Amino acid sequence: MTPSRVAITGLGIISPFGRGREAACDALRNARSGVRRIENIDTSELNCRIGGEVPAEAHRGSFKGFDRFSRFALIAAEEAAEQANVRGSVDPSRFGVIIGTGLGGCETLDAGFRRVYKDGQSRVPPTTIPWSMYNAAASAVSAHFGAKGPAYTPVSACASSAHAIGQAFQSIRSGQADVILAGGADAPLTFGIILAWESMRVLAIDNEHPEAACRPFSADRKGLVLAEGAAVLVLESWEHAGKRGQAILGEIVGFGITSDAGHLTDPSADGAARAIRMALGDLRPTDIGYINAHGTATRANDATETAAIKSVFEEHAYRVPVSSTKSMHGHAMGASGAIEIVSSLVALNDGFVPPTINLRTSDPACDLDYVPNAPRDAGVPLFLSNSFGFGGMNGVVAVRTIHGL
Amino acid sequence: MTRDEIQRQLIDIIRKEKDIPDEKLSLETPLADAGIDSLDALTILFAIEEQFHISIPDDKARAMRTLGDMVDVVQQLVPAVE
Repeated sequence: MTPSRVAITGLGIISPFGRGREAACDALRNARSGVRRIENIDTSELNCRIGGEVPAEAHRGSFKGFDRFSRFALIAAEEAAEQANVRGSVDPSRFGVIIGTGLGGCETLDAGFRRVYKDGQSRVPPTTIPWSMYNAAASAVSAHFGAKGPAYTPVSACASSAHAIGQAFQSIRSGQADVILAGGADAPLTFGIILAWESMRVLAIDNEHPEAACRPFSADRKGLVLAEGAAVLVLESWEHAGKRGQAILGEIVGFGITSDAGHLTDPSADGAARAIRMALGDLRPTDIGYINAHGTATRANDATETAAIKSVFEEHAYRVPVSSTKSMHGHAMGASGAIEIVSSLVALNDGFVPPTINLRTSDPACDLDYVPNAPRDAGVPLFLSNSFGFGGMNGVVAVRTIHGL
Repeated sequence: MTRDEIQRQLIDIIRKEKDIPDEKLSLETPLADAGIDSLDALTILFAIEEQFHISIPDDKARAMRTLGDMVDVVQQLVPAVE
């Protein structure tokens, strides 16, 4: 049996840009940062008071009765499912959900343990386990849409949702499901998690200028900016989408997944390069018109990632635009791969390459075309999205845009 | 505390957790029929314990089927006010 082609028929996103595809597209086109002063929690005892926080008005009142990360997943899934018209048009047993997360229900754990350790109470609420577990978002989405096929949660730090989308691609190719809601969700902007990241000394803490804090590939980059949100794609077998006459927005064409088998936190150019090669498969580097970089703005990632791209793309590395949209939406941990694939596709389908903002002077070790500061009009047919997680776990997804179909 | 007062407070607690119409919150209606699932029930028990400063043993909690059962248990456990 020939493996099925995998169509993208729906896109949903809730991010620091706000709720929905249009909010994301508008921010990317206008090179506008979504990083801001954190308002949802009291940050007075933290050094870091900024983050890619989802604005309150973007989600207020939606989906009561879950952790914040699950509510984000439900909002993104609903937008994607609506665009793809999946309600009532998929056999429930052939309908799957794969939602990755890096950290799961942080809000629930933080609130529960705060009661005990800080407020001196003796118990935590009974919702603590079912709301905080890593698969809570996938479970909530599965129940909401009556999707009874394969459903689970990849957990691989910042590569979680790239892995979710890659695994969904493989599942549909192999005939395990007709339609899968695939993506990621994370909501790590809690007191305890921010404090833990502060200890790693990799946060860009510019409380006075949040929008300028995240500076990927820049000589003066200071580190990453934590963020939150969710993005979900409707992935569907080509035949299934064709049979029901559903508009196709793009196609997943390759997936690379590797491990550095190395250090817990230091990235490896070799592990990343092998993932990029695997995602390319039979494609040539010259087929790729854009790379959405992992581009965290840490000292280690950006130089290592640049080296990895150069080792695979050789001379073409200098001709392919590479940008880090994290410069605008921050690092949403396990949700970032999905947020970046949806952001890239929304922008490229709209005819422009999203920029890397806050890039005045490149680091000498970062000498590629990072689309500095302003978007660029282009009809890109194929792009790669890189995600490289702590623990040395890498995921790269190759995507065909509407211009390549 | 009178039964009426306990019942009133319990209804407030339940309403905070779940939007349930008046007619479904009679003393005899099984909680499950009012749309309260097992996780809702745990959350409601937790809130009751907090509000009344009592601890409801697991066997009593498992035996609660209706709002009336809840009122009985709370009444037994709330210390008599001097």
